Amino acid sequence: MLYCGYLLMLGVVVGMVVVAANPSPFYAALGVVMVAAAGCGFIMCVGGTFLCLVLFLIYLGGMLVVFAYSAALCAEVHPTGLSEGSVLKCMMGYFGVVLGVGLLQGNPEAPLYWWFVGEEAEMNVVQGETEGVSEAYGSGGMCLVICAWVLLVALYVALEVSRGSSRGPVRPIK
Amino acid sequence: MSPYVLALLLFSLGLGTTMTFASSHWLLAWIGLEINTLAIIPLMAQNHHPRAVEATTKYFLIQATAAAVLLFAGTTNAWLTGQWEIQQDAHPLPVTIITLALALKLGLAPLHSWVPEVFQGLDLTTGLILATWQKLAPLALLLQIQPPNSYLLILLGLTSTLIGGWGGLNQTQLRKILAYSSTAQLGWMVLVLQFSPSLTTLAVSVYVATTAATFLTLKLAKATNINMLAISWTKAPALVALTPLVLLSLAGLPPMTGFMPKWLILQELSKQGLAPTATLAALTALLSLYYYLRITYTMTLTMFPNNLTGTPPWRLRTRKITLPLACLAIATISLLPLTPAAVALVAL
Repeated sequence: MLYCGYLLMLGVVVGMVVVAANPSPFYAALGVVMVAAAGCGFIMCVGGTFLCLVLFLIYLGGMLVVFAYSAALCAEVHPTGLSEGSVLKCMMGYFGVVLGVGLLQGNPEAPLYWWFVGEEAEMNVVQGETEGVSEAYGSGGMCLVICAWVLLVALYVALEVSRGSSRGPVRPIK
Repeated sequence: MSPYVLALLLFSLGLGTTMTFASSHWLLAWIGLEINTLAIIPLMAQNHHPRAVEATTKYFLIQATAAAVLLFAGTTNAWLTGQWEIQQDAHPLPVTIITLALALKLGLAPLHSWVPEVFQGLDLTTGLILATWQKLAPLALLLQIQPPNSYLLILLGLTSTLIGGWGGLNQTQLRKILAYSSTAQLGWMVLVLQFSPSLTTLAVSVYVATTAATFLTLKLAKATNINMLAISWTKAPALVALTPLVLLSLAGLPPMTGFMPKWLILQELSKQGLAPTATLAALTALLSLYYYLRITYTMTLTMFPNNLTGTPPWRLRTRKITLPLACLAIATISLLPLTPAAVALVAL
């Protein structure tokens, strides 16, 4: 199970590198799917099943789908691929950064040995993260109202910035 | 813009700053900063022309990066010290990262490159909101953190006064001049932050009044570069006669109000034994003084070749709201004798 967690973490890092070195929004979306799926698997391994479900439904199924459709509407038709030399060089660079940070943070005696913290999932009746969601609605109080307000403002901001189709500030909108 | 959307955005601007002022938790402070960024985006892009959209995009990217770094540092602090309070003991590494993130948000040198380009793409009213209101929330956070040593803030302050003075010297566009001036003034505020936070508060108040008076004067004269100022005396002679005093107050010359924060800051730095720092700050303020003097010279001491009898327009009663400018100009010019009261009010 520990090894499964290591593999999923590797998937997260590879996905992040693909996102950072993306030559086109399509590949960035692909990388985000990889990060979210691997991260989801890892969260499930340490016991946060509700959080994993919410991540898949809302993040991937809601926000990423909207982003993918918007990117499909206005991104270029023949983008640079992932096997281009420049993209590969970027990815090698990012992997080097990850390696460097890993070497810097680790133990000097065993340089690349990292270990998980708190990997044993406690089995309570109500898991920690589900309780946290209900806390946000219960004693979260005014903060919840503020978050809802911010969502409404974000909607109006997006509508206002994209108002007027191609006569407005964002020209690619037909 | 629809008045309902405008009301919603201005309300959110107020809400964001208020939340950051009132918060003792890093997450809530971050939420307030993000609300401010979000709410000002449509205000900046409301003219819909490409320059404004470019300025909006640059502003959004910079502020989002700074807020993300702030959130990262707050989370790191929570991991290392076990608590999320802003005013409690913090680990020095996250505090340094937070200082740099807030410096990026404010536009302190050497993280100042975005400021002139963003201001240049905006109209003067939005520039006023950006230069005054948007600086309050990050400064409130800077006032509350405890840096582990004094070097970073002094370095940020001195570099800002130097770059703010030096960078504005070659500009003819007034919005870029005001952008560099904002960096220089913020440098003074940050310089004295760890020795006397009350003086920073005083410097912020005087800066808001002085910068607002300058922006409103330029808005009334409808001037965006120095050449346009040269003929503004015909539009409002009394205002143009007072503008040199407003600009020299921004530069920090006695007997105007702008001298008050500079004087008290230099005194505090000398009391702390930082006389070379104080000397450097005063000398770099001379650079800013030069471009303020250039604006003053063009506005009042030159007369462009014109057909003088045909130059003045009909001076009809204006429909603009001029009360804020009137009050701020008076405050900027004549409040220096109130220094003891100001010092008592900020509880020095």
